[in-house]
Amino acid sequence: MFVRKIISSSRVQQLLIFLLIYGLNLQLISRPLPESFCSNQESQEEASDLMAIVNVRIIPVAGPEIPSGTILIEKERIKALGSNLEIPSGLRKIDGRGLTAYPGMIDSFSSLGLVEISGVSATVDNRETGRLNPQVKAIEALKYDSMHIPIARANGIVAAMVAPSGGLIAGQSTLVKLDGWTNREMVIRESLALVVELPGIRGGRRGFMGIGGQEPAVSTEKALSELKELFNKSRMYEKRREAAARNLLLPRPDFDETSHCLLPVVKGELPVIFAVHSDKDILQVIKFVQEEKIKAIFYQVEQGFKVAEEISRAGIPCIMGSLYGLPPVWEDGYDSLFLNPGLLNKAGVKIAFSSSSSSAAKDLPYHAAKAVAFGLDRLEALKAVTIYPAEIFGVDKLMGSLEPGKLANIVLADGDLLELGTRIEKVFIEGREVDLNNRYTELLERFKKREEEK
Amino acid sequence: MKVVISRTILFIIFVLALLAPESYLLAAGNLLIKNATILPVSGPPIPGGEVLIIDGIIKQIGKNLSAPAGARVIEASGKYLIPGIIDTHTHLALSGTNEGTDAITPEVRMADVINADDPAIFTALTGGVTMVHTMHGSANVIGGVNVVLKLKWGQPSEKLVVKEAFPTLKFALGENVKQSNRVLLPGRPQRYPATRMGANAIIRRELLRAKDYMTQWERYEKLKNSKNPPRNLLPPRKDLRLETLADLLRGKLYARTHAYVATEMVEFLRLAKEFGFKVAALEHAWEAYKITDELLAAGVGISVFIDSWAYKMEAAEGIAYNAAYCTRRGILVSINSDSSERVRRLFNEAGKAVKYGLTQDEALKMITINAARQLGVDHLVGSIEVGKQADLALFDQHPMSAYTRCEMTIIEGDVYFDRQQILKNREEAAARKGGN
Amino acid sequence: MKKRIGKLNLVSGSRKVFLLQAVAILLFMILSTSSPGAGEEVGPAYALVNCKIFPVSGPPVEKGTIIIRDGLIEALGYAEKIKIPEDAEIIEAGGLTAYPGLISAHTNLFLEIKQQEQPQTPDEFLSSFSQLSEPQEFPELQIFKELKPKKQTLESWHKIGVTTVVIAPGRGIFQGQSVVLNLNSDQPNQMVLKQPWALHINFTTERGIYPSSLMGTVAFIRQKFYDTLHYDLHKKKYLSSPVFLKRPEYDHFLEALIPFVVDKKPVVFQCNNQEDIKRALRLIEEFKLKGVLTGCNEAWRVADHLKGAGVPLLVTVDFRPATASIYSQQGEAVRKKAEAEVFPANAAHLQKENITFALTGFGLSESSFRKNIQAAIKAGLSPEAALKALTVEPARILGLERQLGTLEMGKIANLILTRGDLFDEKTKVIKVLVDGILFNYEEKGQ
Repeated sequence: MFVRKIISSSRVQQLLIFLLIYGLNLQLISRPLPESFCSNQESQEEASDLMAIVNVRIIPVAGPEIPSGTILIEKERIKALGSNLEIPSGLRKIDGRGLTAYPGMIDSFSSLGLVEISGVSATVDNRETGRLNPQVKAIEALKYDSMHIPIARANGIVAAMVAPSGGLIAGQSTLVKLDGWTNREMVIRESLALVVELPGIRGGRRGFMGIGGQEPAVSTEKALSELKELFNKSRMYEKRREAAARNLLLPRPDFDETSHCLLPVVKGELPVIFAVHSDKDILQVIKFVQEEKIKAIFYQVEQGFKVAEEISRAGIPCIMGSLYGLPPVWEDGYDSLFLNPGLLNKAGVKIAFSSSSSSAAKDLPYHAAKAVAFGLDRLEALKAVTIYPAEIFGVDKLMGSLEPGKLANIVLADGDLLELGTRIEKVFIEGREVDLNNRYTELLERFKKREEEK
Repeated sequence: MKVVISRTILFIIFVLALLAPESYLLAAGNLLIKNATILPVSGPPIPGGEVLIIDGIIKQIGKNLSAPAGARVIEASGKYLIPGIIDTHTHLALSGTNEGTDAITPEVRMADVINADDPAIFTALTGGVTMVHTMHGSANVIGGVNVVLKLKWGQPSEKLVVKEAFPTLKFALGENVKQSNRVLLPGRPQRYPATRMGANAIIRRELLRAKDYMTQWERYEKLKNSKNPPRNLLPPRKDLRLETLADLLRGKLYARTHAYVATEMVEFLRLAKEFGFKVAALEHAWEAYKITDELLAAGVGISVFIDSWAYKMEAAEGIAYNAAYCTRRGILVSINSDSSERVRRLFNEAGKAVKYGLTQDEALKMITINAARQLGVDHLVGSIEVGKQADLALFDQHPMSAYTRCEMTIIEGDVYFDRQQILKNREEAAARKGGN
Repeated sequence: MKKRIGKLNLVSGSRKVFLLQAVAILLFMILSTSSPGAGEEVGPAYALVNCKIFPVSGPPVEKGTIIIRDGLIEALGYAEKIKIPEDAEIIEAGGLTAYPGLISAHTNLFLEIKQQEQPQTPDEFLSSFSQLSEPQEFPELQIFKELKPKKQTLESWHKIGVTTVVIAPGRGIFQGQSVVLNLNSDQPNQMVLKQPWALHINFTTERGIYPSSLMGTVAFIRQKFYDTLHYDLHKKKYLSSPVFLKRPEYDHFLEALIPFVVDKKPVVFQCNNQEDIKRALRLIEEFKLKGVLTGCNEAWRVADHLKGAGVPLLVTVDFRPATASIYSQQGEAVRKKAEAEVFPANAAHLQKENITFALTGFGLSESSFRKNIQAAIKAGLSPEAALKALTVEPARILGLERQLGTLEMGKIANLILTRGDLFDEKTKVIKVLVDGILFNYEEKGQ
């Protein structure tokens, strides 16, 4: 009621309330009015579009913690949040007593929906054959009803970059929310980035079952020069096709799938995610990225800490691989993988965590917490599963923090979001409360009945 | 020449220092750990507690204890002291995991192939693990005889072996022994068994053969000891394969059986009853939550992952509630790593169980005292109690928290992992590098 | 460069007889190449004069004489005390030092080792896998029969002072039986000192068939040993009382093992790392074998085990850490440093622990063998101990201590003459006598 009143009143009043609500988030004051806030006519008519989470501890990530406050949700977006927020009666209220509201987490690299049971090839769709597959798109194979998605969701993950892997160019990744009745309903960014996999520190995968010569299949140097050639070919392909379109006398090059699919990359429209590992390779790729003038995101960067300054200067964000691994070389120290995120972050590199998995996608928060155990700041760790990935993927206007105007991707947890024992009580994706039942709970309930029958 | 010798010796010492930063430096086994929050597992937490260790044995637990001369004192305020973590299912510190050529290989013994140089030992120590059950792989229906090791990094292999532990024999069922996830090589026939039926049939066949073998020996002994034994009486051929199985039937060995689905577990327990052999635990037991009654009736515990699942068909119903639910039902549950990487974060794996219904204490038990019970060493380790061996781990926060970090790992009063020492060594190495 | 027969001492009455004899000898020489050992020949007699002598069995002689006749040491000692026989060819050895010929008690010389071709394509890999199902076990193999001696090889080993070698087979777990040879010619029959010497066992695996893992290999060896005992017992029982006893089925594998498992001829275990040494010691203990350990470049790490065991050691000066070794597991820098500084000290440690051993060049080229012995000495091994480990110790382990290993009257005339101290980098081997046959390796341009 109250909200309706103020919305219907004068612009001045509107601004006053706006300041009241946003005063808590001083840094945000300079931001333009959120769209939903301005479009008052709709809201006036439908009270049911509003929902409030009350008495909840709020960790907005974008601003200071609110020990006890309210989040007002309108349709798919956050309308307002604050500690002394007055809300009209009659709307759906969710009591958040004892709970903490966090922005939903984003898994920055996963195979959710592409890999169901990794050992059963019929259920595996993330690895195309061959080395150069810029044409394959993760979104086109994504199993929206994967059993892993509700489990990830039940752990507070609301969005994920789903990426193919394998070969040199693995394909195009997609950014999806973990809710939707079809794969297309899940789309946030249909094509988010091209995934390029460079050889590992130990020389990468060697031939078939590790045989076939002593030399690594392809060195990073070779891989980069190959990419350079492909990019150049794509540019020339475009140039000649355009010239031929203008001048009918010029021969027109035949359709070339690889060149065609690389066009968004060479034009700087589609970023490239480089899976890169050693310090030396990282430096090589930085040089490559600068020469090619492409948008780049690094992935895995196990030895990134050795060249953190250089990565920071280059302004290339880094997605951490799974921390469930051993250091690539003994000399790096037993804890190098755990220290890496903190050291990169300290050097000013924008980092994000990933599960790099589907069946263990739910473990995303634990990777972040592990990095905290080895020096990463707690809030930075939280940002690295929320706002930083949103920024890296260019969707920070939509998600990644709890701020008015952003999509209402909210997680209500009974404790620290990254903590192992924490239970997620409710998850909202774009303002809709999602079902937290999943394969785990369903099977448990089914077989618990045996005990109950007695 | 002398200079060269001493330089070489110095280098060896340097390398040893890298390998085992502390162990050789200390007066063996005498320690006083002060001001820790002790989680003894056998009782309630003791804030600001102290533990006195003499000759590797916990002598006193309390407050204001005094250290005898020469004992190292570890200031542990703000830190958590727990019993050393025990991993009931690993393959580390072995040269080779499977004798996978034959479906039946009980003649192989892990004790023959311990490799004390395996860096996985150190990796495990960095996660507070002090003891592992290191096993034959799951390629065969009947694998080999396993071994329990203490992770005394830098010590010779024979000093690692825990002789008091249950001697166990590895069995495996399901997809691995069926070889259903294996590419069949051209020119090679599919190995028997290719079904769960075959796997069970093979076990029954081998156990019946072992019974026969025992009878043959009994007959020979009787004849030999009779009044007029034949002059050319020949003993039966000694068959190492059947010897091991005979030991299982005699109760000298315990079965540890890799099993995933409910049916194969139920059937294996029936086989155990049929032949009267002992089962120490079922490994992985992903569908244990479906057959808790049967497990309770057989008195058999499980050694499981917390949530690593869906990597093959038979793991597709492996729910993260398994460990917690089975614990609630009264089954003895331990959490294992089955991995030379996961082993260093076994405490994180146990910690996850809190989300699925256990208390932090119960979760911690799954990687300490429960594991010790399953290995038959709970009278020696697995909790912090006076008289037990001082296998301990020190964490900077509650070990069941995601934010915790292992600071120190102690076996029988010797420090085998000390993070602060490693950091110091690193600083010194960096300074040396900078200085040069 | 090399005198095969040398100058024979012809005790001749007349010119005619001499000519006849010369013809006969010529004929003999021609024949002897086609049928070695067809007739007894009388070896030459030499008097090596004015050389320094390291007899190993006693103190060095600054200026001495060594008399060699017919392949044996007739006499040796201080120059003034040794009378030079009138028929001996005098070899001026002033400035040279005489040592017993060195023994490398584990090599694989003269073998044409078939390089196992590495499959390059998946198809090759798959087919190689299905083809390799033949077991590679050869307990009955006599490596002696496989020898293809080459003069060039012989000479290159002479040049590092080696006159005696053990040649051992190198494939499979039960690899076969080795031979002890004097490097006196390229005629295997003439060369043999002991044939067969020992059964060689390596803790390796089969590919694709049982045993395909180290644990399987240990079980496989134990089962074969138990089977041999049983087979032998069965045979003996059958021999003594065949009535109402079925005869044992002939088993060539177990037959080959009987001399070693039952009759306790030497069994050599190849030990590539410290755990292999312990594995071998356990087997030797379990089956009461006459065991010998070879390889053993990590022996210092198990000194405690070796001290009590009294098992002879053939320690290679190959300093490369095995893959399973901790020194291979902690990065390249540690591995390289270990190879340069830790492993060379192996022998020095053993010496300090009073563990006796022979040094071998197993796994090494002859030039690395020599270089690495020097490295072992630099790392603390005393030159005296090194010399013993290359002469008297291996002779003892081979059961040839009465014939070889020292310069003593009556022993086989295996000796080397060097310019300079044997273990000096610049020292060259100038003359080599094997079975009294003289080989000259004068420095060029001198």
